Amino acid sequence: MHEYAFFLGCIAPNRYPGCEAAAIKTSEKLGIKLLELQGASCCPAPGAFGSIDLNIWYAMAARNLLLAEQMKKDIALICNGCYKSIYEVNEKLKHHKELREGVNEVLKGIDMEFKGTIDVWHLAELLYDPKICGLQKIRDSVTVPLEGTRIAVHYGCHLMKPKKERHFGSTEHPYWIEEMVAALGAEPVEYRNKMLCCGAGGGVRGYDLVHAIDITNEKMINLREVKADALTEVCPFCQLQFDRGQIEIEEKFGVKWGLPVLHYNELLGLAQGMSPQELALDLHAVSCEPFLEKIL
Amino acid sequence: MAEKKTKKETAPKKKETAKPAAPVKTAAPVKTAAPAEKAPAKEQKEARIGVFLCHCGTNIAGSVDIEDVQEYAKTLPNVAHVDNYQYMCSTPGQGKVKEAIKEHNLTGVVVAACSPRLHEPTFRTASKEGGLNPFRFEMANIREQGSWVHMHDREGATEKAKDAIRIAVAKASLLQDLIPKSVPVEHAAMVVGAGIAGMQAALDLANAGIKTYLIEKNPTIGGRMSQLDKTFPTLDCSQCILTPKMVDVGRNENIELMTCAEVENVEGYIGNFDVTIRKKARGVLSMEEAEAKGIVGGGCNGCGDCEVVCPVIKPNPFEMGMKPRKAIYIYHPQVVPLIYHIDWDSCIKCNLCVEACGDKKAIDLEMQDELVKVKVGTAILATGYDIFPIEKKDEWGYKKYENVVTSLEFERLICASGPTGGHLVRPSDGATPKKVAFLLCAGSRDSTGIGHPYCSRFCCMYSLKHAHQIIEKIPDAQPYLFYMDIRSFGKMYEEFYYRIQDEGAKFMRGRVANVLEDPTTKNLIINAEDTLLNRPISLEVDMVVLAAAVEPAAETDKTRKLFGVSRSMDGWLLEAHPKLNPCGTTTAGVFLAGVCQGPKDIPDTVASSEGAASAASIPIHMGEVELEPYFAQCIEEKCAGCGMCVNLCPYQALSLVEKDGRKVMQVTEAKCKGCGTCGGFCPGGAIWMQHFATPQIIAQIDAFLLGGAK
Repeated sequence: MHEYAFFLGCIAPNRYPGCEAAAIKTSEKLGIKLLELQGASCCPAPGAFGSIDLNIWYAMAARNLLLAEQMKKDIALICNGCYKSIYEVNEKLKHHKELREGVNEVLKGIDMEFKGTIDVWHLAELLYDPKICGLQKIRDSVTVPLEGTRIAVHYGCHLMKPKKERHFGSTEHPYWIEEMVAALGAEPVEYRNKMLCCGAGGGVRGYDLVHAIDITNEKMINLREVKADALTEVCPFCQLQFDRGQIEIEEKFGVKWGLPVLHYNELLGLAQGMSPQELALDLHAVSCEPFLEKIL
Repeated sequence: MAEKKTKKETAPKKKETAKPAAPVKTAAPVKTAAPAEKAPAKEQKEARIGVFLCHCGTNIAGSVDIEDVQEYAKTLPNVAHVDNYQYMCSTPGQGKVKEAIKEHNLTGVVVAACSPRLHEPTFRTASKEGGLNPFRFEMANIREQGSWVHMHDREGATEKAKDAIRIAVAKASLLQDLIPKSVPVEHAAMVVGAGIAGMQAALDLANAGIKTYLIEKNPTIGGRMSQLDKTFPTLDCSQCILTPKMVDVGRNENIELMTCAEVENVEGYIGNFDVTIRKKARGVLSMEEAEAKGIVGGGCNGCGDCEVVCPVIKPNPFEMGMKPRKAIYIYHPQVVPLIYHIDWDSCIKCNLCVEACGDKKAIDLEMQDELVKVKVGTAILATGYDIFPIEKKDEWGYKKYENVVTSLEFERLICASGPTGGHLVRPSDGATPKKVAFLLCAGSRDSTGIGHPYCSRFCCMYSLKHAHQIIEKIPDAQPYLFYMDIRSFGKMYEEFYYRIQDEGAKFMRGRVANVLEDPTTKNLIINAEDTLLNRPISLEVDMVVLAAAVEPAAETDKTRKLFGVSRSMDGWLLEAHPKLNPCGTTTAGVFLAGVCQGPKDIPDTVASSEGAASAASIPIHMGEVELEPYFAQCIEEKCAGCGMCVNLCPYQALSLVEKDGRKVMQVTEAKCKGCGTCGGFCPGGAIWMQHFATPQIIAQIDAFLLGGAK
């Protein structure tokens, strides 16, 4: 059993508790134990905090990292925004002495010191990594194959970019999450401008909602074109934008899409036999029923 | 065909070089032997050193207190005269040196000025004209290593100048007369690479009466230029202006052309390079080779009967893989030499071609690589370029989307002799594209760390040419050029740019963020920013052409190491001086032509090749070159004949000989590079490194550490 400190983030537990439940329960079946990271704060949100005060962003992220350092466990997380903050700050502090010293100066106030002893992983990459889990294990764990469904993937910007600071290979034409979707028995579908932002990130949603949902709407047009039954992602914030965004699109533009949006862990939960109630799918703004009807 | 000095032998294919059967001539005879001065000379007379300080305008005087340094220099041991001047390198400055030598009866001269790389030759000549042996001159660098790096620290720069002068005086006090040796220069040259650069250089050398070996790794000469359709800005057909030169190269009596050949090993020095060339097994005999083997009227006549029967089909690299070829093939109908060749990786040795060839008996499926040794006086590298693998910039979708092509692929698609007979088509469906986008600076001027930071220099111009070509060939065609800056720098280039603008090409200043494919139509959507209008653009086109960056050809690194040539930071071969010696290298006798030194268009390539040919012909026409006399010398009375130095020498310049009943080391001076490996090692202190002798170096160290020469 591989053990990780599980960094929850904010959106998953508050808006989509099913993501949190699915992550813990599905991983356990795949040999990954997610341990509670007690005392964790907001990651903090890279766009919102990073744009205002970088030092605070570093220091708060460092504090979260230190909680895991004390547990002597690597961090696993399920949100691209958290990944940006926690992963990137960890890498930066490890490699930039001056930055580390500045942050440690702040951390002195709470008797802590960043040492750089752990690594940070997105749960999706752990599931894909054959040394930890791998596609075959995922395939073997499936009891309710998602056969007959067409699922499109949204990777999310903070997971894949900036390219220089990531390790996922192609940032323009990635395909590994599609492989993970196929492992659940579903048919992954490609669509135009796959790597376009969800519309929310970088504070755009907070600053200019119409602009944000305009981008989301463009994604919806491209997804409808390839007749996707559902969209999956690995980021609750992207999920929020695609899910609640469809309601906002309806309000502002008068277009109704009705496309179910599910976190990959929620899909994995369904494929492993978890019930929609267990996954709290009723909390989604756009009903997942049309999708569920196809598989259940 | 082989020249007298050419020794041939067979060697197993793709294996280590076999040792030559006949020993290579070890060294050229020394023409003017110096009076042997084997033992460290005893001080003939007391050293009297003249010190001359250069202001270099304010370059030195701005940061170094010349007056202070002058007063200091007067206090140094052995210093008989100190002077300073605004510009020591000027005629009056040199005059000061000459006069002082006579007037003060100087035994040594120190000039404290710039780097010896700049003006050591100047002051050596001045010393000689003043009646002193030129090797009694020593330079103290107080500019590049002094005033320039300590520009804002006058006190520190002044102190450092004093140190440098004290050290130089200490060495100058112990310097000896040396006489340079001359060695004869082989009346032959070598050019590596037979693209337009190598061809031009070889033709110039050959026409100047010099036997020239032209080495090309491909089965034909012509290089990249033969893949091009038209040339800018004149729009003449590339092949039409190139093939006459190719034919000239093929029939020039002074050029010995070796295709399918690579340089395997290089030994020796300017005037006397011993080069081993691997002639890779071509599988097909030329008519001359057949005749030499006694096959009357045999050898390849280029009829192509073999190609017809060959059952293997592979993509032709000359056509960028867009046209099929057989396992036995030629790149294109105009190849020089017109001899077929076999791709051993795809040949299945079915023997059909051998049967088809019949009595000509040109095909030998068991042919082996051959090692050929030649001796040349000078060499020119013209190894050219490759296209940067633009798929690394995955935002533009090359190799992902069928209708995204590189400029070189476009050249073949628009070329009348290309795979489509000059009809531009989309790879996805064979349709004629109407809207074509050209992405300039694709991988050039790229600071992301994926592409190259430099400008590839000819992409702007050929993209303008491409725009013109589609307007000319396709009714209602619309080219779009996405650019950062249009660099139309050459003669008639700017005029060409205006012409293409008038013809209707659209120019968008901005880098392309990404290219997306519409999966149903295979059209491409370009997302970019128009930085002139300050707005994002999204444009749907039929085809995208990437003007991919260029980078040094893959084998360049191997070749440059054989010839001892350095690279600059960007990977291109390093010239001796970027402005004043762009064709030379730091290895005497080795020169650079064409793009291997940095991106160049055809006119600049030809100009650089003619420059390299001219430079390479000078030592050959002079007939001899002077070698700096920094040789190791054996002090025979101290030599124990242990032979350790012989094994250490990287240049095989040392040997043990019998003398007076015992063994002593002997130096082949023409081979010695003065590296000092032997001198530093010799346990008995029996090796004297001329001009860098142990006492001289110890004196320098003492002067630095103890503050005064002994």
